[in-house]
This record gives sequence, structure tokens and C-alpha cells, in this order.
Amino acid sequence: MAPRLVVLSLASDFGCQVQLTNMTAELLDVLGLVELSYWQLATSGHMPPDYDVAIVEGAVTTTEHVELLGRVRETAAVVIAIGACANTGGIPGIVGREDLEGRYGAVYGPGPAVATGRRAPLPLDAFIKVDYHVPGCPIDTGEFLRVLSRVLLGLSDRVPDMTMCASCKTNETVCFFDEGRLCLGLVTRAGCGARCTSLGRACTGCRGIAPDANLASAREIAVRAGVPAAAMDDALRIYNALTEVHA
Amino acid sequence: MFFRVIPKSVIPDLVRGLAEQYEVVGPVAKGETFVYAPLADAADLRLDYDTTALPAKRWFFPESEALMRFRVSDNAVVSESLDTAPRVLFGLHPCDVNSLLLMDNVFLGETPDPYYKARRDNTLVVGVSCTPGEYCFCDAWGTDETHWGFDIFLSDIGDDYYASIRSVMGADLVDRYVPCRAITDEDTAAFQRRTAEFKAAFTNGVDTSQLPVLLDAKFDSEIWDKLGEKCLGCGACSMVCPTCYCFDVHDELDADQLGGTRVRTWDSCQFKQFAAVAHGQNFRDTRAARVKYRYYHKQWGYLSKFERVLCVGCGRCTRACKAEINPPRVVRALQTGVVD
Amino acid sequence: MTVPTYAAPVAANPYRPSPARITSIIDLTPQEKLFELRLIDDAAREAFDFESGQFVELSIFGVGEAPISISSAPSKQGFIELCIRDSGDVTGAMHKKRCGDIVGLRGPFGRGFPFADMKGHDILLVAGGLGIAPLKSLINHIHDDRHEFGKVTILYGSRTPSEVLFRRQFDMWQHREDFDLILTVDQPDETWTGETGLVTKLFDKVDVDPASTYGAICGPPVMYKYVIAEMRKKAMDADRIYVSFERRMKCGIGKCGHCGVGHQYACIDGPVFNYWEAMNLQEAI
Repeated sequence: MAPRLVVLSLASDFGCQVQLTNMTAELLDVLGLVELSYWQLATSGHMPPDYDVAIVEGAVTTTEHVELLGRVRETAAVVIAIGACANTGGIPGIVGREDLEGRYGAVYGPGPAVATGRRAPLPLDAFIKVDYHVPGCPIDTGEFLRVLSRVLLGLSDRVPDMTMCASCKTNETVCFFDEGRLCLGLVTRAGCGARCTSLGRACTGCRGIAPDANLASAREIAVRAGVPAAAMDDALRIYNALTEVHA
Repeated sequence: MFFRVIPKSVIPDLVRGLAEQYEVVGPVAKGETFVYAPLADAADLRLDYDTTALPAKRWFFPESEALMRFRVSDNAVVSESLDTAPRVLFGLHPCDVNSLLLMDNVFLGETPDPYYKARRDNTLVVGVSCTPGEYCFCDAWGTDETHWGFDIFLSDIGDDYYASIRSVMGADLVDRYVPCRAITDEDTAAFQRRTAEFKAAFTNGVDTSQLPVLLDAKFDSEIWDKLGEKCLGCGACSMVCPTCYCFDVHDELDADQLGGTRVRTWDSCQFKQFAAVAHGQNFRDTRAARVKYRYYHKQWGYLSKFERVLCVGCGRCTRACKAEINPPRVVRALQTGVVD
Repeated sequence: MTVPTYAAPVAANPYRPSPARITSIIDLTPQEKLFELRLIDDAAREAFDFESGQFVELSIFGVGEAPISISSAPSKQGFIELCIRDSGDVTGAMHKKRCGDIVGLRGPFGRGFPFADMKGHDILLVAGGLGIAPLKSLINHIHDDRHEFGKVTILYGSRTPSEVLFRRQFDMWQHREDFDLILTVDQPDETWTGETGLVTKLFDKVDVDPASTYGAICGPPVMYKYVIAEMRKKAMDADRIYVSFERRMKCGIGKCGHCGVGHQYACIDGPVFNYWEAMNLQEAI
């Protein structure tokens, strides 16, 4: 029997689900291999009670998210976290862990009624065991398909753990630091092919900080290139505010 | 060897002639840098380039290549073919010509790699002399000269090139496409003067004395810890290195999961998982161990097999490494015991 | 500029796996199975000539390749046996295969044990855990040429009784006069009647004539140092102690670089080295 698949969102802008709808060429092949039981953005109806694979987008920002995620983990044999929000806390994570009410207040006025049960944002890993990770903002559809292949074959999660620089070198892209400009590729997880830098935009770290990144050395490099180390730390807050590496 | 004097002014004619039969790849400007790329126009060739971002290896051993197509159901190879254009690499400096000879030892040795070999067999190499740049140290390994590994080598002697011709193909091409003449004693004297100026222009003195001994005797030295603290583990050095040949192979399934492609990509011993085995053991778990291995292998491991070090002094890694780890500095650290 | 291109078929491709059929699967332990494989192509099967200690690349398209040492003896032709622990993607996929399924093989690769040199001598084999897999090939090869060897002693340590590989054969061998086999486990259960403790403890029970003994060791990386020390205490020569190293052999032909050990590559210079060679390999032991 084809594995039953659900796609759902927590706190996010649905950008990764939009990416999935963009896989026009491959979507039909993929749909031949799975039974799509629920897709928040693209199907009507409700989440079924039972399914095998859950694809989850978005960060956890409310107690309702925590409860939903708990049920998902109990139900699904495989949970796939897609996108920066689900993997690192992403954009919702910018709010940080301190003075949550103060920050909501600054945006929505005193005692806002939005986001009932709100809590400091966290990635999925903080609550449940995530079996497969597809990082990035938004996800790359090619990478998503490769991961889905691995899920269907029962292979291990193999998100690349090196940093971006080797991809940049392979693309023959001039290093931003050679021009005295900040780039987070020095510490960011590879796997996107360093697409932004090859288009002339510095890496913003959307794939998360690589597990073996050398932040201390990266800060020294930034300073040597004329970029204050604090600028690097600030830039890291866009997608990696919740990652415990800023010390 | 067989020599000719070729006026510099006819090089575009030579390139245009070659382009009738070959894809001509040479150094062209890309923004502030140079890259080896197929020449759309002979005028794009920039023989005054300093160095290229990536070395010539990608034209024989691409950063990513399909090894074979497979079918999952019966584990069968469906096809294994490679598209290889008859190609000329035009304008390689002596370091890059020598790097191909070092790659040949690995890929054409006891068990030839058919993908590399097919491209090597289909590619002519035209070298050109250069001036030492800021990061060059090919003089340290004797790779500032090249005597084989090319079809034609063009040494700048003013208005002309003093051309060394190594192969029948090279001789045919020169005769066919360019007006040229035999060398005179004056030409050879100019060639010698030019060589002496070239050798005197190097500034990155590297003391290579007893490197194999030092690499073993100082295997546990704290210099490696110091370098490991700086290293980003990013593998940029390996990508830009003309002699780094390590690769990884993985399978990419088609979206329908019925078939797929076995793909080879460049790899680096600087990546954390490079030496990890299935049961969880990682034989080089720290950046210090990995940066040490890179130098140990290049200056001793390869030497023990092929009697040459696996470095041609092109300086690309010096340029690429933001952590400022490079052969002249590492060799100095080995000699002095201190990372400067 | 127009450029001619052509597609060339790849002749003699060392990366192309040969199809092999799984002809038998035996569950050895909850984690390990013994697979018997036969190359489907007659010419490839007949040309497949190997030494104990060599390995093959097991190739499952869509998943990848993994180096596996051969467990059967070169004296048995026409098939090979691979003892495989489910510990990664390729080995996991192999564990899901059934009899009759087709997988790929490349090889044999590397340098095995010096069987010809070992003849006429006593043999001391020491295995830990899955390290018995390549030594099983050597043991069976010696068995098939038993009259050519002196005393043969096998010391085999496992963590628990349920992890003892080839237990049925070894239970029978414990009664043989031509092999001295001693099994030990770190954590015995109520059924275990053999030795307990680390394999190095068994050296007290072994008499070694250093002038005429070859040693062979295979096990987890931590084991080598201690077993070699015991053999050296018995005055065995460094160049008669052979060790087999596990590294990440990927291409099998000395090119991809993954199995570097010191200045050598395990896939072409090893995986079997003698201790003198291993002493000169950085990061080996």
C-alpha cells in the first residue's frame, strides 16, 4: 500500500508548501508513489486520523502547535521538517526567547488578542524526534524530492553537514570577504549549491548553522575583511536566532 | 623536443583554426577574476591572466558527472556513456600542466579511470609561460618548468613565442594554422634570459628540506591544533586545488523511483564525514586531524607512491582559504615549530 | 563555433558492478546475516579469484555501495559469502533482500592475508565481534589445506552470547582436535559455559612458539593495540602479526581517497597489513 502522506503548517508563510506546488514536472511521478491524504494548501477536507508520513512546515509558536505536533508524532511513522522555520525556528525565531509579551505588545499594542496560547518560538526538534530535515527558505524542490526518495526507501537522513564555501568555489564565485563584504556562507550548512552567492547575493544563513561550523574563526575572518564581528552575529539572527552558538 | 618560433599576433588565427575541429577552452575574464571557459570568440582568450578560479582538472574530472544510469528492479546498468568533445585546453601555466601529470598517476595508473582517460585522450594541451604572482610558489617543487604533459608550450620571448612541441598533433596544428619558423641561437638566448628573469621573480621562498621526516616526527605537534583552531573545515582548498582528486559517489533516483543515475562529485578530506565508517567510528574526527591529513597526504603519502609531492605551488588555496592556511605557512610551521 | 560531440561507450569500467544473485540467506544474530552470492555472468564468476582478507564493494542501485570483506574461503569457487551487519543504508537495504534478488558486486579488492607464507607454520587468529568475518575466510581456507599447517588456535571474543557469529559451526569446532578454539564473551548469560572477559585474557591459555607462528587479528579499532601487545609478549615478530583494518573503502581502486590510513590507502595497500607496516602508518593503531 502506498504510504499515506499529510502536509501541514505551523507558524510560517506557507512558502515551502508553495514550493511543493511548483514541482510541476515531478509532482505526478511523486503522486504515483504516495497517497496524498491531506495537503493544507492544496486539498479540501480535514486532517485524517491516520497517516504514515507527515511533512511539517513552520515553527512552533503556540501551545496548540505543541499539541498538534505531539499527535503528529504519535500517528506518523516518519516526520519530515521542511523549511527554515521548522528546522531552525527561522523567521518566527527572530522574536527570540526573552520578553515575548513585550515584543508582541510593541507590534500589536498592549495585551494583544492575537496568537492565543503563544509561546517563544522553537523548531520542531525541540519537541519531537524529526526523522528527516529539508532546510532552506524556501526549500529546494530537488532536495525535497531526494529526501522523499530516501524516506520511501527507508534510508537515513543525510542533510549535508559541511559549510557553503566549497560550493562557492565550485561555482567560481568571488568570495564576498575578498570585497570586504559579509557573507554567512562561512558557517552555513551547504546543500543549496550556493545559489544566492552565484547570483551576487551574500548567504543569509537560511539553511542553518552547519554542525561543525567554526564560528570563532569566522568572526576573525570577518574582522580581517573589515566587517565587525557583531555584524556577523546580527546577520545570523535572521534565521539562526535560536541556535545556541552565539556565545 | 621540436621547436618553432610563433609570432604572438597569429595566436587568434591559431585559436580560430583549432575551433574548426575542437572545443577550445582557455582563460577568459569573469568579473575581477579569470576562469577556464569555452571560447566564444578567439579575442576572449586572455593569455595575460594571472591564475584561474578553478584549475584545469574539471575538464577531465568534472565537479559532478554521471557515471552510469541504472534500473532499480534488477540492479542493472542501463547505460554508461560519456559525452566528450574533442577539446583543446589553451593557455595552461606550467603549474597546471604539471598538475595533470600528477592526476595522471592516480587516474591512469594501475586501474585506469575510463571517464578521466577518455577526456584526457581527447584533449590537447597548449601551455603558456607566466610571471610569478603574489601567491605563486611553484619554484619550491620544481613545477615552474614543464617538459612533458603538453602538446605545445608557448614561452614568451617578446613579440614571439618560443614554442616547444611535444606531440605529432601539436606539430600538425602549428604547421597547419600558423606561419612559423625554426629557432635560432638568438631565440634560445632570449628564452634563457626570459627563464632567468622568471626564476628570479619568485618571492614566496618555501624551505622544503626534509618535509617527509618533519611530517612524521611532528605528527603530534601542537602546530596542528593551532591550525585546526583556524580551519573552517570548508574544503575550499580541495575544490580549487589542481591536484586534489578525492571524490564521492552517490545515487540519484528519478522521481518515479524506477531508475536513477550514479553520480560522482568532488569531495574533500576536510569534510567531517570523509573518513567516517558505518559503525559510527570517525578516523579523523577533529579539524586538526583533517587539516594535518591534507598536508601529510600531499607532501608524504603521495610522494611515497609516486616520488613527487601532490602540490604544484599554484597558490589557489592560499587565495581561497579565508583562515589563511596555506602550504608556505604550514611548511614554515613544520620547519620552525610555530604557526606564524 | 560548432563543436562535434560524441558518446563513447565506457570500456573496462572498474566502477561498473557485476550483477550477482543472492542464493542463500542465514540469520546469524538479530543484527547479522550471512549471504551467499553468485555472479550471474559465467565469465565474471570464473574470473573471480580472491584471497582471504580481500573485500568487495556491495552495490545496490538507488542506495549506494559498501565495502564488505569476504567470509568464504578461496578454496570454494563459484560463490562468495558475505557476513553483513545492518549498520547503514546499504547494509540495511541488503538485510531487506530475499533469496533470488539481484545485487551488484565489484572486486575483489585489496591485499589479503599471506596464505602462501603462512603455510608450514602455527597460526594464531584473534577476532573481536564482526572482525570474525574476514578471519572466517582464512579459517576455512586453512581447514581445506589443514595438513599444510602446524597448530591452529582461534581466539574469538564477543560482547554477549547472542552476538557470537557462526555459533553453530564454532560449537561443533570446540570438540575438534585440529583446531584450538576458545570463545569468550564480555557479558555472559545463564546459558554461557565458555570463557568470560576480554579476548586478551585468553592469551594465558595459549602456548606460542614465536619462531614458527603467524598471527592474524581483526576486530574493532580499540582491540588492536591490546592484542598486538599480547602477541609481542609472546615474542612474535612484528612482521608475522597481520592486522586487517576497517576504513571507508569506497572506490576500491586507490582513487577516491576515503580509506587513507597514514601514507597508504587501505583499499590497495591493505586492508591487511603486518604490524611492522602498521607501526609505520600514522593514525593506524
